[in-house]
Amino acid sequence: MVSNTHYDLKRHRKFEHEGDKYVVDLETGNVVQVNDVEWDILDHYGTQTSYQIVEQLKANHKVTSIFEGIEYLERLGQRGVLLHPRDEMPAQPTANWKQTQRKPKLLVPFHFAQEESSHDFITNLNRYQMLTHLAKFAVLETLKFSKTGQAEQERQTKQDFGEDIYIRNIEVEEGHTRAAAWYAMNEYDGILLLSQYLTDVLPYYQVPNTPIVHCVENTQNGQNSTRETLLDLYGHQKEKDTLVVNASWLKTWLDEFELPAKRVHVINDGINVVETIGRALAKQQTAAFLNKPMFAQHPVVGLISGFQSHSGVQFLSNFAKSNPNIAFFVYDSFLAEYYHNPPDNVILFSAEDEVIRAILPIFLQAFDLVCFPAIPGTPFSLVLETMAYGTPCIALSQYGIPEEVRGAGVAVKSEWDGLGHFHVPCSELSKTVHQWLKPSSNRTKCERVATEVIEKYTWDRAAQQTVHLFAGEHQAQNDNSRRLRNMFPLIFCRQYEPGTGTTVSRAYQTRSHRYESLENTLAEELAEHHTSAEVEFVFRHLQK
Amino acid sequence: MLDFPKNLHQLHFFEEEGVLYAADLDKAHIVEISAVIANILKLSETHTAEEITQALKTAYGEDDIHQAFQTLEDCEKQGLLFNRGENIKRIFATKSERRKLLIVIPGTPVDAFFDIETLHTGTNMALSYMVQHLPKYVDIHFASNQNRRLTDQMYEVDIGVNDLGRLSRKIAETYFGILTLHRTHEKWLLPIYRHMELPPILVQTHAPRGHAGNTLNSILRHYAAMRDFDAFTTPSDYVGQFYSNYIWDASFFNTLPNGVDSTLFCPMDKEKAKLELAEHVGDDRIITHPTVGYLSRVQSAKGASLYFKLAALNPHLMFLIAGPNLGRYASRELPENVIYVGFHPRETLPRIYNAFDVYCFLSMSGEETFGLTVLEAMACGVPPIVPNFDGVPSVVGDAGLIADADNFDLDIGPFVSYPSPIDFSEKINQVLNDDEMRKTLALKARERALSFTWEKTAHRILLIFEALHRKRLLVSPNRLLSVFAPQNEVSTPRQQPLTYKSILLSTDTHYDHSLMGSAVYSQRVEDGLVLSLLKNHTAREIEAILAEFITDETQAKAILKRVCGLIHATS
Repeated sequence: MVSNTHYDLKRHRKFEHEGDKYVVDLETGNVVQVNDVEWDILDHYGTQTSYQIVEQLKANHKVTSIFEGIEYLERLGQRGVLLHPRDEMPAQPTANWKQTQRKPKLLVPFHFAQEESSHDFITNLNRYQMLTHLAKFAVLETLKFSKTGQAEQERQTKQDFGEDIYIRNIEVEEGHTRAAAWYAMNEYDGILLLSQYLTDVLPYYQVPNTPIVHCVENTQNGQNSTRETLLDLYGHQKEKDTLVVNASWLKTWLDEFELPAKRVHVINDGINVVETIGRALAKQQTAAFLNKPMFAQHPVVGLISGFQSHSGVQFLSNFAKSNPNIAFFVYDSFLAEYYHNPPDNVILFSAEDEVIRAILPIFLQAFDLVCFPAIPGTPFSLVLETMAYGTPCIALSQYGIPEEVRGAGVAVKSEWDGLGHFHVPCSELSKTVHQWLKPSSNRTKCERVATEVIEKYTWDRAAQQTVHLFAGEHQAQNDNSRRLRNMFPLIFCRQYEPGTGTTVSRAYQTRSHRYESLENTLAEELAEHHTSAEVEFVFRHLQK
Repeated sequence: MLDFPKNLHQLHFFEEEGVLYAADLDKAHIVEISAVIANILKLSETHTAEEITQALKTAYGEDDIHQAFQTLEDCEKQGLLFNRGENIKRIFATKSERRKLLIVIPGTPVDAFFDIETLHTGTNMALSYMVQHLPKYVDIHFASNQNRRLTDQMYEVDIGVNDLGRLSRKIAETYFGILTLHRTHEKWLLPIYRHMELPPILVQTHAPRGHAGNTLNSILRHYAAMRDFDAFTTPSDYVGQFYSNYIWDASFFNTLPNGVDSTLFCPMDKEKAKLELAEHVGDDRIITHPTVGYLSRVQSAKGASLYFKLAALNPHLMFLIAGPNLGRYASRELPENVIYVGFHPRETLPRIYNAFDVYCFLSMSGEETFGLTVLEAMACGVPPIVPNFDGVPSVVGDAGLIADADNFDLDIGPFVSYPSPIDFSEKINQVLNDDEMRKTLALKARERALSFTWEKTAHRILLIFEALHRKRLLVSPNRLLSVFAPQNEVSTPRQQPLTYKSILLSTDTHYDHSLMGSAVYSQRVEDGLVLSLLKNHTAREIEAILAEFITDETQAKAILKRVCGLIHATS
């Protein structure tokens, strides 16, 4: 559902006469009697957002009266009086940030403390890194609420946000029930959403005329619900909103569910690459650090995954046991926590803090080959980081080799049900692993291509791509699917057919005094408040 | 040429980008004016045209002044700038001891309501009687194209149908309600329902069907477009029952029975009445034979053919026809025992009724919801015999006889029923052959007629408006937000088509948390559809949509009920 603020204030004239207030629509000649609050709203409507109007007027009028005043004026607008419907989607309030060569001001409604605990360390770290780099190209601001009189104290205790994000302190009175999204209407060029908690983020989709870039985290614990979350978000997207996923297979996967490609963008996380120490030394250090000599003596295959525990344990157990001469280094947060007795040739690992994260590159450099399942939850940035050290990859994928690693590895066709169940054909994978562990010209070529990811996946590039999405240039400028409200009401009603004595439902157009097809007009009416995707969902449902 | 001095509307003059305007506050419209027009307007309430011309001719050329007068004349014709008719200042008074009702019936001159002889249809006559009794409870303003005082409680006011929307707030401040009459082909009213500010609108409807479904379709459109606090009135319960076959909420149909002037229409000396009528038409058989009366337009749909059949079946009785003329039957060979008694003004109609021993109401058109002549005959103590269809039996009750009729499931032409001539004939003879029965029915008919008064009708109008005002207070704005999204069902195999759902947000369009806590609620697509459409459409419109897409009516009604309940509960 989208807010219907498709109106501009027409050329008008306000005047008072014998204590009553009037405003003249100079284009239609209508004279409208207005009350005090509508009189004041007219000074701001069209140039300010509802938020700004309410903030300006709330000292003199009740907030509900201000909203009702806006509603009344927009009802007049529906009839073509005082306001006129825009012919196209409204310009963003500060859309010219690009033209004026200033940084866009973005709202990042990010509840760090709440969400940090529900993500693994790498996911959180990537977020911080993204925001840090984004701050080079955009002004970032987040919201902080405090009760009246307590703002100063709160401000002092929230220094941990860092210096890259401005904190907007909002003092709210007792009994305040306004959603956080309300404050997003204050001159932001865009809203960057990073959360998958629908209750937190959905209200922001109601903010009119402000593009949303929603970066969906690739988290392991949300894997079961990722599809539903993404589908829900897709329903909410307005024309200039974008859903961002951090791996191409997610886009391909969503494409299966008929999410149009133009609404989903892939922006891969940046990667952090340290100075290389060479695979041989890395293997020795890994073996020593992990107290597993086989990591220095045998080929090392890295598995970077985001399995659900039941699938992961079963697969890993079978695969490791059938390849006893390979050392497996498994990076998987869930398995590291829940899989307690892996085969001897397996090390389960997960970085839980900065110190451990700092030594992870040594392990990654020890890999002769890196495997990864192409599912939500796999920390893909670690796969790319590994490849940056010249390691070919094997993608366990439903869709072939992902484009990010094309030319640097091979895919083994695997099955994933979109939920927790992932099936890898172990014998084929074993065969492929053994084949790729052997030196070959193909492997050499892939090792060279793999190193190229260093240039391709940087945080600066990711941040710039994200900011670019707020400009909306990748989207069609006009949303032609949204019909402007007709000044003549359309009436849905039954029509009696004297020939049969039955009724059918139609839409009666009061301008032409004719009945029109119910389906077409219903679609147009729904488009007033819903995205074209939503309208399509409704009709697909009804046609069943 | 306008007749100056002339009273002006409330005007406010202003200049915008070098152009002069007069804002007519009584018509909520501006007029672009020249400097000479502005000056004429300033003098127009106190000076004659000649004086104005003299005063301005030093500053403006004679042609300019002449042209300005012509422009002003055009404005006056459009109802702008000048008060039309009597000088009634401030129609839109905000404070008044008595409530005011605005009657809007375009095309019917106000005077017609007070000259009943010019009104040929029962519908208009009924309205006329109501109007004349309403001032006991409320002041009446007739929307017209001039201002005129009719009585202390009745005014004609310069408000056209096109003004209603523009002046909606002022009308709401001034009027308790708007009373109008449903006409099948009228188009002005449907857009008016969209003005939520206007007071309740009560639409009188008399014909439930007919005109090849046009009436029914028109009513269905109005039903769909009406706000929650608008309604129809119908003369009998039958109309609401009839429409409940097509719609879900028959409470929009309020029964408003007609009345009868029981002082005018009263029992008289029957012998004398017959004698006078016999002398009037020069046929003594009226005195010597029992009489069967018919008072209506002489048309097939009104039962004229059937009436002549009854005459043929009963040569021992005299069949008296009172109507404007014999219409197409004038050129036919009618049974010998049919006597055309002519057309009579209303004040002499009671004598005609009193000359009938029994009154036959034979109409079989789709427009008979009451049968005003039946009630008038009853008031005169004449036992009625009516067919068993539509609303007429409810008027008769046990004070007459109800004859069999074959009611049609579909309209055929203007016909919706065919009363049984045999049963009618038997019942006529039954009443005429049984003196006791005839006397009993005559007394009952009079007694029952006395319970139908125009005063009650007028009072009931007020009660309906009061009920509508209560409904208006309960109207809930729908600000809930919902979206549609595909559904992820764990049990759904990968390649199966997606299913869909609607998601109800806890935040409304005012960014208020209208539901408990911060949550999103999944619901059926249909519920979301209804929720969304109820923002710009009425529950009756949604009803039509649900009826089309959901075959199980019980389920569809349940969806509408719960979504409306949700809106009311969260507003």
